[in-house]
Amino acid sequence: MFFIQFLKSSIGKKWIMACSGFCLILFLCSHAAGNATLFNSIPLFQAYADQLHSHPLIISVLSKALSLVFVIHTTTGVLLFLQNRKARSTGYKVQKRAVKYSQASRTMIFSGLFILLYVLAHTYAVSFGDHATIGLTISYLFSSPLVVLFYITSFIVLAIHLSHGFWSMLQTFGVNHPRYNKLIRNLTYIVPIFFLLIFSAISLLFIF
Amino acid sequence: MSTTSINLSLEIWRQKDSKAKGDFETYKLTNISTDMSFLEMLDVLNEQLTREGSDPVAFDHDCREGICGMCGAVINGIAHGPEPETTLCQLHMRHFNEGDTLVIEPFRSRAFPIHKDLVTDRSALDRIIQAGGYVSVNTGGTPDGNSTPIPSATAELSMDAASCIGCGACVASCPNGAAMLFTGAKISQLSLLPQGQPERKERAMAMVTAMDKEGFGNCTNERECEAVCPKGISIRNIARMNREFVKASFF
Repeated sequence: MFFIQFLKSSIGKKWIMACSGFCLILFLCSHAAGNATLFNSIPLFQAYADQLHSHPLIISVLSKALSLVFVIHTTTGVLLFLQNRKARSTGYKVQKRAVKYSQASRTMIFSGLFILLYVLAHTYAVSFGDHATIGLTISYLFSSPLVVLFYITSFIVLAIHLSHGFWSMLQTFGVNHPRYNKLIRNLTYIVPIFFLLIFSAISLLFIF
Repeated sequence: MSTTSINLSLEIWRQKDSKAKGDFETYKLTNISTDMSFLEMLDVLNEQLTREGSDPVAFDHDCREGICGMCGAVINGIAHGPEPETTLCQLHMRHFNEGDTLVIEPFRSRAFPIHKDLVTDRSALDRIIQAGGYVSVNTGGTPDGNSTPIPSATAELSMDAASCIGCGACVASCPNGAAMLFTGAKISQLSLLPQGQPERKERAMAMVTAMDKEGFGNCTNERECEAVCPKGISIRNIARMNREFVKASFF
């Protein structure tokens, strides 16, 4: 079937990565917006969480869809990494890159796996707890400097991952035109820094 | 400009045939004129080796003026050497310094098996072209230049893509051994022009399928291909191929 054929092709796999990546960026936006209520107060954040959980159907569907997208993004990424390693099984004696500042693109698999570790730890600590007291859980969690350090490190890794991922996603979608390339280049910095700043600021709220 | 001479140390990949293991061998070269091209420097080495009764280094070359796409090796980790938008035959020794050590390796990719020393089998690229990189209409005699109007900007974009000489440096430099810049350029050059429209979808499908079958890796947008391409072909052509393939697959 044409759809399966498409997904199995090299470009199809790029589209799987880009589409799932796009969904994950949308999730980050909604997550950042929701968590931004913490800048106001814990009761407001608790009210936001209560409101969210008063729609169990939406929560159930969205959280399962999100998990599915995350699993697809991760497994396709790992699969591509393994396939690509085979395609260039012999490396060069002198390993040199012609592109400057390619650290982010080179380390996508490692930054990705670190984010996976973070997501597992984060969902274990937060999502499986009691929703009714989530505000307190968060303030308790973020009072530990070690936890905050782990979170901020993860956000830096996420920003590095996004600094390649965001541009790469648009390139895969075929968005590459001299008229927009400058804007895209700027967004490549703005989008990761935006998420880094907002999430790091939230995790620092309770330490002082 | 005055001619100067330099002494070099070369570490070259030597491999007897496609089945042999292969390893690096070191050679010393003295009095190499900086006016020489890189391939002329290898010619000097080969004369030296022949006089000594050793097997000369096998390397691909043909036109030696940067237009045929036959030459190519990885010099100190960069395909076609350190000069941007330059084929190996057009790289001159004035870009190197006295006492430099040059590590010369063949283009490496699963889809490019090594025949001997620096000679690789790049026929996988030919098979991608055979899958659809053509217009299958006999055009007869030369048509009148203005009979099919093409906007100048479009013609230029198509010509930029068509300047690909198929050397395979994009594959060699790609950390994933992907051939997407080559295939993207070859799909683009025809999809931009009116003559390429009737077979546009079949072409995108057939060429991408052929590319995948040859065992090239997947593009992860690392841009190494664009950086080493001797013809400066932009990854905009890969973006265009991504669009073409999706359009061909779904619509």
